Amino acid sequence: MSDSTIQHHEESRDVTFRVHRFNPQVDSKPYFDDYTIKLEKGITVLRALGYIKEHVDSTLTFRAFCQAGICGSCAMRINNMSKLACTTQVWDELDKAREPGVIKIEPLRNLPHIKDLVVEMDPVVGKMKKYSNWVDSRMPEEEWGKKEFLVSEEEFQAYDKATDCILCASCVSECTILRAHKEYVSPVVLLRSFRMNADSRDGIHDQRLAGLVQDHGVWDCTHCYRCQETCVKNIPIMDAIHGIREDAIERRGTKDTSGARHAEAFMDDIEKKGRLVEATLPIRTNGIGWTLKNLLPMAFKMILKRRTPPPPPLVKASKGIQSLRKELKEMASHVAKDHEKKSGE
Amino acid sequence: MKPFDIVIVGGGGSGLYAAMEAMKTNPNLNIAVLSKVYPNRSHTSAAQGGANAALANKAKDDTVEMHIFDTIKGSDYLADQDAVEVLCSEAPKIIRELDNMGTPWSRMDDKTIAQRPFGGAGRPRCCYCADKTGHTILQTLYEQCLRKGVFFFNEYFALDLSLDGSRSRGLIAMNMKTGKVEAFPAKTVIFATGGYAKMYWNRSSNAAGNTGDGQAIAYRAGIPLKDMEFVQFHPTGLRKSGLLVTEGARGEGGYLVNAEGERFMKRYAPEKMELGPRDLVSRSLETEILEGRGFDSPAGKYLHLDLRHLGADIIKSRLPQIREMCMYFEGVDPIEEPVPVRPTAHYSMGGIDTDNFGRTIMEGVYAAGECGCVSVHGANRLGGNSLLDILVFGRITGRAAAEEAGKFNPSAIPASEVTDKEQELRSFMQPRGHYERYGTLREDLGHTLGANVGIFREASKIKQGIADIESLQDRFQHVRVFDTGDIYNTNLLQVLELKNMLDLSETVAEGALSREESRGSHTRTDFPTRDDEKWHKHTIYTYEGGRPKLAYKPVTMGRYELQERTY
Repeated sequence: MSDSTIQHHEESRDVTFRVHRFNPQVDSKPYFDDYTIKLEKGITVLRALGYIKEHVDSTLTFRAFCQAGICGSCAMRINNMSKLACTTQVWDELDKAREPGVIKIEPLRNLPHIKDLVVEMDPVVGKMKKYSNWVDSRMPEEEWGKKEFLVSEEEFQAYDKATDCILCASCVSECTILRAHKEYVSPVVLLRSFRMNADSRDGIHDQRLAGLVQDHGVWDCTHCYRCQETCVKNIPIMDAIHGIREDAIERRGTKDTSGARHAEAFMDDIEKKGRLVEATLPIRTNGIGWTLKNLLPMAFKMILKRRTPPPPPLVKASKGIQSLRKELKEMASHVAKDHEKKSGE
Repeated sequence: MKPFDIVIVGGGGSGLYAAMEAMKTNPNLNIAVLSKVYPNRSHTSAAQGGANAALANKAKDDTVEMHIFDTIKGSDYLADQDAVEVLCSEAPKIIRELDNMGTPWSRMDDKTIAQRPFGGAGRPRCCYCADKTGHTILQTLYEQCLRKGVFFFNEYFALDLSLDGSRSRGLIAMNMKTGKVEAFPAKTVIFATGGYAKMYWNRSSNAAGNTGDGQAIAYRAGIPLKDMEFVQFHPTGLRKSGLLVTEGARGEGGYLVNAEGERFMKRYAPEKMELGPRDLVSRSLETEILEGRGFDSPAGKYLHLDLRHLGADIIKSRLPQIREMCMYFEGVDPIEEPVPVRPTAHYSMGGIDTDNFGRTIMEGVYAAGECGCVSVHGANRLGGNSLLDILVFGRITGRAAAEEAGKFNPSAIPASEVTDKEQELRSFMQPRGHYERYGTLREDLGHTLGANVGIFREASKIKQGIADIESLQDRFQHVRVFDTGDIYNTNLLQVLELKNMLDLSETVAEGALSREESRGSHTRTDFPTRDDEKWHKHTIYTYEGGRPKLAYKPVTMGRYELQERTY
C-alpha cells in the first residue's frame, strides 16, 4: 500500500510532469524539469509530486499539509489553471493536456516567488489586515462568553458559502487586475470583506466599506469572473463583489467615488441608449477638472488620429435596444441558474 | 536581545487561543507565535464535526454534570476528574465566546447555536458549523489574532529548547524561507504543535505535518510525556487515503453495514448502535474485517458507511465537505452509493504531561491542546471533545503563561547553540556511500505501527514493532538530504519530522507493551479486560540514554467511581 509500490494496475500509464523549477540561490532564471513516472488511475497530482520528491528528486519543492482539500497549502497552477494539487486527479488533467501525456505544473501567479512551486503568502495576509477582515464584535471583550448572539438562518445563509474560503490564493493567482496592479485589494479579500459586512455581530461595517471604495478597492474589478471560475470551493466570489458594490451605492450614494459614478454613468447610458456615450464618460466619472487635466493631451492625440468617440448628440439609441434588454434579462436569469447549480453540486 | 515574554510554538486552535488570551490578560507582553505552516493551514481546520458544550439549546435537560460523566466514562476512567470538570464547565463559555467573536455556528429555528448528537454523549450537545467546524473556528481565531496584532513567525520550524542546566531559556528554530537557524530567548514557551498520529503514515487521517514536533522537543529536553500508548483510531477513514468521514455523518443518521448487508453495530452496541464511542466502533469494524465480513478491494478490506437514506437535501446541506471528499478521493457520491470506510489513526490522547494550567515540570514551559496531556481524554477521547480541549486549555494556558512570565529571568542563549545546530543540520547533506531515503523509512514506520501497534495489540507483535523501530532508528543514521540549499528546504524539514516521529514511536510502542490490560483505545488481545487494580494509572515517559524510561502516576478521582463501561 506504500507510495513506492503503486501497483494493482487497474489502468496505468507513463505520465510526464513538466515542473517549473527555480532556486534563487543557484538559478539565474526559471526552467522546466520533466519527470516521467508510471502511475495508476485514481492518483492525485499531489501524490504524484510526493512520489517524485521521495523517489526521484528530493530537491523538488512544494507546500502540502492536510492532503484533503481543507488547508489550502498546495494551490499551484496545473495546466495553466490555479487549483489544489491534492484534489486534482491526474487522469482528469491528462484529458486537458495540450501535449499528450504531459501535465504542466507552475507556481501561483501574482505573488512573489520563493522557490519551485512555493510563493510568498504574506501579501494576502497584509491585505486581510488592511481591510479589517475580521469581525470586530459589537460586544465588548469583557462581556464575551456570557451570552450568545441570536443569528437568523437567513443571515447565516448570506455568509455561509463565503466562510468556505480556505485562503488558498487560487483566485489571487488568476486575477487579471492583480496582474496589472499588485496593490489591488484582490478577490479573496473582497470575499472576506463581504462576509464580515454581512455579519450582524460586526460593528465596523461602515468603516470597512469606506476602505473598500478607495483606490485599488472594490470598483477596480472588471467583472472578468476568473476568480469565480477558479475558486476551488465553488464560492460565488463575484456575488460578493457585486454585493459590496450594491451596498456601497446604497449606503454611500452614486456620487461617492469615481467608481460609483462610473457605474452610474454606465447604467444611465445602457438604460437610455443601449450603448455607451464614451465622450462624456470620463467627465461623468471623474469630473471636468480631472478630465481636462489628465485626458486633454490624449484627447488631442485622438483627434489627430481621428479616433475620437462621437459627440453625445450623435449617439443614437441602438436599433435593437428592446431585444438587447430582453437578452440582458435572459442572461441575468442564466447567471442566477448557474449559481444555483454550482452551489448545489 | 530582550527575551520574549511568551513564545508559542504552533498556530492551530490552542496556540492561537493562547496568544489571544495572553494579549487580553496583559496587552504589554511581547508575544510571538511560531508556526511551521501559515496558521490558517493548521490541522484544526480538518476537524469537521464540532465541539461539545452543555448549552442545552437542543436538549433542554442537558447539564455540565452529564457532559463530565460522559467524558469520564468515555475515557475508560483514565481521565483526571478535576481536569474534566474544568473542560466541561468552561465549555459553554468558550462556545459563546467564539460566537461573540464571529464564528459562524449553524443555528436552530430560534436563532440559537445548533447542536447535534455525537458518539458517547448522552445528549445532543455538539455545536457545529455544517461539517467545517474546525475550519471556521481556526479562521475566526486567526482573524482575531490579526485584529489584535499578534506577532507571527510563519513557516518557522522549532528544533530545540535551549536549556540552562535544567531550565528553559527559550527556543531554537529554523526559518524555512531562509534556512537560517535563529534563537528565540523566552521567559515562557508554550508547545501547541498538535498530535503525533501521523506516525501511522498511510493509515492515518492526519495532515502530513502532525509529527509530534513539540512532544519530541520537550521529551528530548527531559520533560515527561504521558499516556502515549493511547492512539485513537477513527472508525470511518476513507478506504484509499485514510482521510476522515466525520462522526457527524453517523450523528446525522448514517449506517455502518458489512458485506452481508447487516447493520453489524447491533451486535456490539445494541443501544447506541453507530453512535457508540470511537474505540468500540473501530474495534467492531476491525473485527468484522478480521472475521471475513468485509468487502474486498485492491486497496484493502473495508466496510460500508451508508448515508443514502438521509436523502440528497440533508447530505448537501449538512455534510457538503464529506460529499466532496468522497467524490474526489473515492469516486463515490454518498447520495447514490455507500462510502467505503475502514478505521484510521486519528488522534493522540497522549502528549506532554501537564497540570490543569498547562504547566510542565520544567518551569516556564507549557503545553496545550493535542500536544499536551492534562488529561481530559484518558484512554479514549469522545468526538467533539478535541476542539473543546484545544480551545479551553489553549485559553487557560495562555492566561497562565501571561501571568507567570514575569517570574522568569532567563539567561541569554549562547550564539554557539545556533551555529552548532546549523552544523548538525548541514551534516544530513553530506554525501554518504550507503544512504537511505526518508520517504521509505516513513512508510515503513507507518506500516509496522499499523500492523503491530494498531487497534488490536499483543506482546509478540508489539515486540516486533519495537524491533522494527530500532532498526529504523539505525537506518535513519544513513538518511541523506539531497537538497543542499538554504531556501525552503522541505527535504530537510521532512527528515527532521521523521526523527520526531521515530523518537515518539518508541514511547507509543513501549507503553503499549508494558500496559498489560485493555482500556479505551488500547486493546491487548492477550489481556482482553480492564485491570483497574494494576493499571488504573497514567504512564509517564522520560528520555534517558536515548530511550524512554517508564514510570506511573495515579489518576485523579472525584465524584465518579470506577464502573464497567458498556454502551
